Amino acid sequence: MADHHVIIENLVKTYPGAQKPSVDHVSFSLPRGEMLALLGPSGCGKTTILRMIAGLIVPSSGAIRLDGRDVSSIPVYKRNMGMVFQAYALFPHMTVAENISFGLEMRKVGRAEREERVRKALDLVKLAGFGERKVSQLSGGQQQRAAIARSLVIEPELLLLDEPLSNLDAKLRDEMRDEIRDIQARTGVTAIFVTHDQDEALSMADRLAVMSAGRLEQIGTPREIFDRPQTDFVASFIGAGTFFEGKVAGPGVAAVDGLPPLRFVGEAAVGSPVRLMVRPHRLLLAGEDGQPNSFTGTVEHIVYRGQILTLSVRCGSRLLQADLPTHAGVLPQKGDQVTLTVAPEDVTLIGREAA
Amino acid sequence: MQNTSILGRVAWNTLITLLYFFLLAPIIIVFIISFDTRQYLAFPPESLSFGSYVKVFENVKFISAFWRSLAIGAIVGIVSVSAGMLLSLSLVRYTFRGKAVVNFLILAPFLVPHIVLAVGIMLVIAPIGLLDSYPGIVLAHLGITIPYTVRTITMSLMAVDTRVEEAALVHGASPAMVFWRITLPLVRPGLIAGAVIAFLISFDEATISLFIVSVKASTLPTEIYHYLEYSTDPQIAALSVILILISIGVVVAVERLVGLRRAI
Repeated sequence: MADHHVIIENLVKTYPGAQKPSVDHVSFSLPRGEMLALLGPSGCGKTTILRMIAGLIVPSSGAIRLDGRDVSSIPVYKRNMGMVFQAYALFPHMTVAENISFGLEMRKVGRAEREERVRKALDLVKLAGFGERKVSQLSGGQQQRAAIARSLVIEPELLLLDEPLSNLDAKLRDEMRDEIRDIQARTGVTAIFVTHDQDEALSMADRLAVMSAGRLEQIGTPREIFDRPQTDFVASFIGAGTFFEGKVAGPGVAAVDGLPPLRFVGEAAVGSPVRLMVRPHRLLLAGEDGQPNSFTGTVEHIVYRGQILTLSVRCGSRLLQADLPTHAGVLPQKGDQVTLTVAPEDVTLIGREAA
Repeated sequence: MQNTSILGRVAWNTLITLLYFFLLAPIIIVFIISFDTRQYLAFPPESLSFGSYVKVFENVKFISAFWRSLAIGAIVGIVSVSAGMLLSLSLVRYTFRGKAVVNFLILAPFLVPHIVLAVGIMLVIAPIGLLDSYPGIVLAHLGITIPYTVRTITMSLMAVDTRVEEAALVHGASPAMVFWRITLPLVRPGLIAGAVIAFLISFDEATISLFIVSVKASTLPTEIYHYLEYSTDPQIAALSVILILISIGVVVAVERLVGLRRAI
């Protein structure tokens, strides 16, 4: 941790006149070459953090360390950051090459070297031959690539991306997602990107930092975040699931109102209240009742979604959500009596580390 | 139904044509009179010649006043664009105490009759000894041109995406560099439009100028006014036509260059 490339320490931002801080004591760190996603709903403070790292916003308190050096007092234009803005913010009065060359000019790089580096940057983002175009002659995806080239050509300490895919249509978004990941891997640049889209975060980032109301809820790999959410917010924000409140009845067993005892894997003191969650795709169709963790109920609602079938099953007072693969033999119909089962290791104990 | 709509269209077109004719009639009549050979202004002309135009170019008072007006207009254009840029930046980009007051003061000259402004400006300029001087007339003109330049530049500035400026900052441009390389080029249409409008206003302005200048710094409009006090011959018409052509020339050139309509 101490030798990490980027260390954010107790970062706080309170805007003048605001009741609550927009960013409230957030700390995290990245090793060199990692891609981190700051994920959260709008207004959670993720963009404010990004802008504080860039130097566009002055933090109220806390430190931003690059290789151990606190950069929070360095003015934005001397911080050597690369930033891709949400609407790209290319310079509209310059050509693509002039846009990319701008940061090098500001660094007083000689003309010959500038041209060489601009050419390489254009190659990197697959825009070779587009250098003389005007910005307005580029498509959305090409503008995005140009913006990335402009940021990378200066060999920045950090690449910051603000909702990099939100302005693209669905097909282009998938393409650019792979593209950005690929460019980041090839250049080895440490990158932080902000998004409100969980799919984007899960598929692009090495690790995710999930934020809510200015606080960091959880940071971890996509798998850790998805399978082992530590807070209610993370569990409900990422993916769907059925939640259960109960009391620990014995080791690895929780008593839940209106259902048979629910077995889970994890440490929880007997008698303490617990929150458990089951992801829809972890619930399986079982042959008969009576096994541990099996629930029988009536199918109340069915949504056919191609590869999967989403069922809402009424078990007493509860509605369980299950995703079944559509190739799994005979599919239940609305009104059918079905039995669903879940393996104890697939029951997530919210708020505890995995056992 | 068909008939009434055709009738309506004819009536509408006639109305528009008449309206335009009414607006342009003075210019057309001045244009025709400027070729008359008589020594007084009358319509229609008796016989036509370029005699009045020749006399205008031989009139030393007109020619020297023309150059003075040109110089004053150019200085007014440059100074009001510079001042307008600073004012617009502070009004668009910053919030400060008294912003509404500054905004109102900038717009105020639009609301006050020029004759009232003229008296006010004269009373301010006289005690500091700037009556009938270049600085005096430039200052007086700035009072009425700056509201226009602030307007055109503010419009351009509001269209500039601040994130573009942020992008320049992040990628290594100091605030001064951002201004020179990003902000200024992006508001260029507003600067040019503002400069042209300020020049044209200064070049045409008579009311205020009459109060400020007499001999040394007299402008072309004041010379025309004084000439008219004693004589009314077609020279005035010829000079008017020349002034109109200059104004049209400037507007057309700028329109071709940057698109004046877009900037206003």
